[in-house]
This record gives sequence, structure tokens and C-alpha cells, in this order.
Amino acid sequence: MWQRRAFLKAAGAGFAASLLPRQVLALERNELVFASAVQTASGGYGAVLLGERGDLIASIDLPDRGHDITISREAGRGVVFARQPGTFALVFDPDGREAPVTLTSVAGRHFYGHGVFSPDGRLLYATESDFEAAQGVIGIYDATDGYKRVGEFPTYGTGPHEMLLMPDGVTFVVANGGIETHPDFGRAELNIETMDPSVVFVDRRDGRLVGQLRLEAGLHQLSIRHMAIDGRGRVWFGCQYKGAPSDSPQLVGYATMDGAIELVELPAGTLADLRNYVGSVAASGDGGMVAVSSPEGDLLVAIDTEGKRPVLVDTLRNGCGLAADDAGFVATSGNGEMVGIAGAEREARKFDFLFDNHMLRVG
Amino acid sequence: MRIVLVALTLLLAAPVMAQTTTPGQVLQAAVSQAIRPGVLEFTSRASGLSIAMNALCRAPSEGTLALVKGQFRQAALAYGRVEFLRIGPLMEDNRADRLLFWPDRRGIGLRQVQAILAEEDASATALDTLRAKSVAVQGFGALEFVLYGTGAEVLPAPEGAFRCAYGRAVAANIAGIARELANGWFAPSGIADHLTAPRADYADYRTGTEALEALVGLVSHGMEAVRDTRINPFLPTEERAARPKEALFWRSELSFEMIGANMEGMQRLLDQSGIAGAVDADHSGLGASIDFEFRNAARALALVTPPMEQALADEKQVNALNYLVIVTGSLQAMVGEQLSAALGLSVGFSSLDGD
Repeated sequence: MWQRRAFLKAAGAGFAASLLPRQVLALERNELVFASAVQTASGGYGAVLLGERGDLIASIDLPDRGHDITISREAGRGVVFARQPGTFALVFDPDGREAPVTLTSVAGRHFYGHGVFSPDGRLLYATESDFEAAQGVIGIYDATDGYKRVGEFPTYGTGPHEMLLMPDGVTFVVANGGIETHPDFGRAELNIETMDPSVVFVDRRDGRLVGQLRLEAGLHQLSIRHMAIDGRGRVWFGCQYKGAPSDSPQLVGYATMDGAIELVELPAGTLADLRNYVGSVAASGDGGMVAVSSPEGDLLVAIDTEGKRPVLVDTLRNGCGLAADDAGFVATSGNGEMVGIAGAEREARKFDFLFDNHMLRVG
Repeated sequence: MRIVLVALTLLLAAPVMAQTTTPGQVLQAAVSQAIRPGVLEFTSRASGLSIAMNALCRAPSEGTLALVKGQFRQAALAYGRVEFLRIGPLMEDNRADRLLFWPDRRGIGLRQVQAILAEEDASATALDTLRAKSVAVQGFGALEFVLYGTGAEVLPAPEGAFRCAYGRAVAANIAGIARELANGWFAPSGIADHLTAPRADYADYRTGTEALEALVGLVSHGMEAVRDTRINPFLPTEERAARPKEALFWRSELSFEMIGANMEGMQRLLDQSGIAGAVDADHSGLGASIDFEFRNAARALALVTPPMEQALADEKQVNALNYLVIVTGSLQAMVGEQLSAALGLSVGFSSLDGD
């Protein structure tokens, strides 16, 4: 995690050059910095850096709708991935010495909106679709050579979504959502009856499948999409249910590298208010809590990872983005709001842009 | 020119129809004037198709086959008018996919249907065992192949017995699912009640805003689906030639009529619900603009004629279809963004798109 001063030092030269004095002040007094893809007031797309008090520090334009952002201090770069089935990823330089670089997915692949850097910042990995074969892949890009695509690993499933690097630094965890799409048919979901979601652990060094975990067969229409890692290295995940709307399966669970996978029991009322849809998952700074959001149900739920039960349920209209701050979580919404929950005391702010689904704590 | 006309329509329509309808009336009318009648019509057409298939199998003849094909057309188009209702009963029990598995991108459904016919798989001729099979062999796509696909010429003769029996089971299945849909939309304390009188303790619609968002979302997503799965896949692009066999129902030559039915169903929901009249005076012209785009769509559809292969070889028809792509996109934005915003709803940014 970037320290505040390190970020300032790194970011100052590039971003501050185009900032107004008030924004420079904001940058200097902020303790934490967050990043998110947004839709602008004019209907365009971009990404923003915000101070914890809600001051806009910097923004970049995107050619189309972005989704998640990843940042590597070692690489000195951040990357905004296009929302699926987008074909671009924008690599930006917080140091401001170089102009942003736009990556384009190679023929036969598109991005899913998520990715990570290697611990040393030399490689960038992105979840992608080999859409002719309806197979997920992890695209590998060389950050030391103009982000040239140097290879790919399978995700051992269809429709991969979020990927994270485990604390061991050598294992990826990937959520295979299980849903087949193809650019010829827009966002149409082509295999709802036969979908096969899974959580996979993949060795970063050689792409080897370390382990693949599935929920019980009756839950094959429960698409596993977003994840966060708790203080004990368990991978908490949130799902979106594609089966009958009158079913109300549990939507949040965790998986471990030693092969356990289970859903936690949320109370019926809370579960109903999630509307069969979890849009993002984040772990608290100490890893003792995870928060999940449902923009469909306007609900935010913080769960104690030891007791495996909700410790807070809050509402936020169209709320989806979640990131840890020092005390709890910051949440953002598709209506342009930013609030604090679960111990995070911050004034609610409203912006003239709309937040996309994910919020990243940068430093 | 189109933009000028839209602007003009906006100006002319502006003063009159401000806030003549309340959200409660919109929801009530949507169910009673559009959704329920549409579902009942489909039930009736599907039942007609099933009866005709029975008749064909009992007494195969060219005349009965022609009757069956007419009923197939009626039932498919009736479904086309309600298939955008992807909430509640249609989403239960994989019904939407069982009625029409499309797109069948890798031809999996087609191969499964061909295998049933080649192997004369008797379990596909009884309703209960058919329902246990892949969704792709149970609905309109399968029945279209039975009636129009390779080998269909045996149907009016005794050697078509197996093919007919399979088609009969599929038609009965379609009729059964249609009845389930109608039952769902007429169930006491069911989705219709929840949608028209939302309550905080309902799992599906807690507020009038959520119910209106659902209605708007149906049309916005319906437009997207028509464009992405029923038009774009077969149109020529800079990278590839036209692909007439990527069109739904190219064999029965119902591709264009089906698109028309889809548009008609969505227009009926908007018109009958009066949803565009539930906005404030500043947006009172939106309804007229939406109507105008629906007329543009109908005009484009009037210019295209099957068979698909010939239509796609004719530049004028391809232009009309490309125009239809633009119009469906425009309608998607008008309903999903402008109407939604005018009603104070938030449809489609961070929710409802499965990411």
C-alpha cells in the first residue's frame, strides 16, 4: 500500500501541474487517496483520484467506460481496465513524466475489467476472454517493455472476472463467473442453463492450476464475480444469481487455498435486500471485516470475518464501490455519492460524476 | 434531418401532456393493458400451435402442415411481443431459454436437435422426458428446425412420424410454458400485485421507484437485445460479409417479422402504460419523440423482405437494417437514459448490467 507521502512525492509533479491551487491544497492535506472509474456529467468516461475528504485531485479521460483500477508503486503506474467486453486498458503514470499509454486487447480477446501487477511491478496481468473458445485467460503484459503482451495463462473456466494476487505473491485467485458472452452478441448471456462458475488458484510463475473450487451443483447459476482477501488469507467472494428470481441463495462466501469453499448465512431480510446481486467486495485494513455492496438493492453489508455474520447493514442508493479506509469503508454510488460506513466517519459527498462499480484505495 | 424532426416534434408536443399519469396508474396499466393481454395472447397462440401439431401427427398432409406453419408463425410472433418481459415468470425455471434458446452461437442446440432426429430418440417425444433435456431442444428454435430444417419434407407423409411426434412434444411444451407464464402473471399475491402495489417487505418490488425502474429496464434492455442478438449478428461489417444463417428463424423466413413483433411488444408497454405521460412538463415531449422513433423502426422494417440471403445481398435492405440498428440504439437511450432521468429513476449505470 502506498504511503501518503510516497504518493505525494510520486504524484506531485505530474498531476499537480494541471491542478488548481485549491486542489493542490487538497492533495497536501489528504491522508488517503482513492481511485475510481467514473461517468462524467457530460456522459463521457474517465477515472478520478479523490482525497478522503472528497477533494478531486486528478482525473483522466477514457475512450469508453472503465471498470476497475490497479496500481503498482513498484511499476510507478496505474491501470484502468475497460469494462467488459471492452478492448482497452489505460496505463497512466502518476509521476506525470510520461503520457498515458493505451493498451488494446489482441485479436480474439477482450478485457473483463480487472487485473493486477506482479509484486515487483514488472508484469501486468488482466482477466480476458478467449471468446471463440468461450474460455477465460489471464493476459500477461511486460511493464518493462511498453506493456507488450508476452503470453497468457488459462483461467480454467468461462467468464473470468476479478483476479487478485494472494499474500504469498505467487498465486493468483480468479473468479470464473461462468457466463459465456461473445462480442457478436453484445452482452447477451449465452449459457445460463449450463454455466459452471468456480474459484481457481493459479500459479503466477507457470500458469499451473493449483486448485479449483465449485459451489454445490444446485448453485451452478450462482456467478462468482468479485473478491477480497481477509487477514487470514481467506478469499471472500460475492456472487450474482442468474437462476430464478424467486430463489434466494446465499451470495457471499469464502474460499481457501487448502480447498475449502463455503457460503456464509446472511439473515433472510439482508439477503433479500441484496437482490441476488453483489457488485463489489472489499476487505478492511486489518482484514477483520469484509464489506459487500448491492447497487440493485441499494445495500451495503459489512461482515465480521471471524464471526461470519453482518456487523453493519446500511443503505446507499445505487451504491457499489467499496474500499477500506483507516477505520471502516468508503462507499461510492452510481448516483455520484461517496460515504463512509462501518466506523469510517466522513461527511457524505455528492459529485457531478457517477462512480463506476469499484473503488480502489491508492494510498 | 431526423434530428431536426425530433426537435420539431418536441416543440410541438411540449405544452400538452405534462404529468397526466401517476406512477401508480402507469404500473397498473402496464400490467392490465399490456403485460397480461400479451401473455394471454401468447398462451392462446401456443395452444393453437399445439393443437395443429397434434392434427398433423394424426393425419399428416400438406394441408395440415401448412396450417401448422401458420400456427407456428402466430405463436412465435406472439412470443416475440412478450419475450422482453424478462422479470418474474419468464425468468423462473429457465423458461426464456426453454421457449427460445438464442443465440445458439456454437450451434450446440442445432446439433442436439439433429441428433434427436437422427437417432429417433423416443424420450424427446414425451413431454416429461423432453422437459428434462437441454433447453435448446424444447422450444421455438427446435420446432422451427422440425418444420423447416433439412429433412422436413417427410412431415406430410407416414415416414415423418418420428419427426412429427418430436415436434408435437415441443409444441406441447411451448403451450405448457405459455400457460405457466400466464398463471404467473395472474397469480394472487404474485408479481402483478407486487409490481402494481410495491411494499417494503416484498422481495421483488419494494417501492414504486423500483417498479418503474423495472418497467423502463425491460424496454431499455429489450432494445439492446433486439439489436445485439436479432440484427447485428447477421449484418455485414467492415471485417466480415453478411451471415444470413446467424439470423433467428431464417429457415421459416420470420426473422424480420420477429423483430417487428419485439418492437411492437415494447411499444405496447410504453403506450398502454402511459409512462411517458408521468414526467414533468420539462420532459413532456419525450413520449412523442419515442413514438417517432418507433415509426422510424416500422418504416425501416417495411423495406426488408425475406429470404434473408437475398435481403442481405440488396444494399437498400442492408441500409434499412443498419438504420434499424441506429434506431434501436436511440430508443434504448431515450427510454433507458432520458425517460429514466425524467422519471427520477436510475437505471443502468452501476446496476442491472451484470458486472
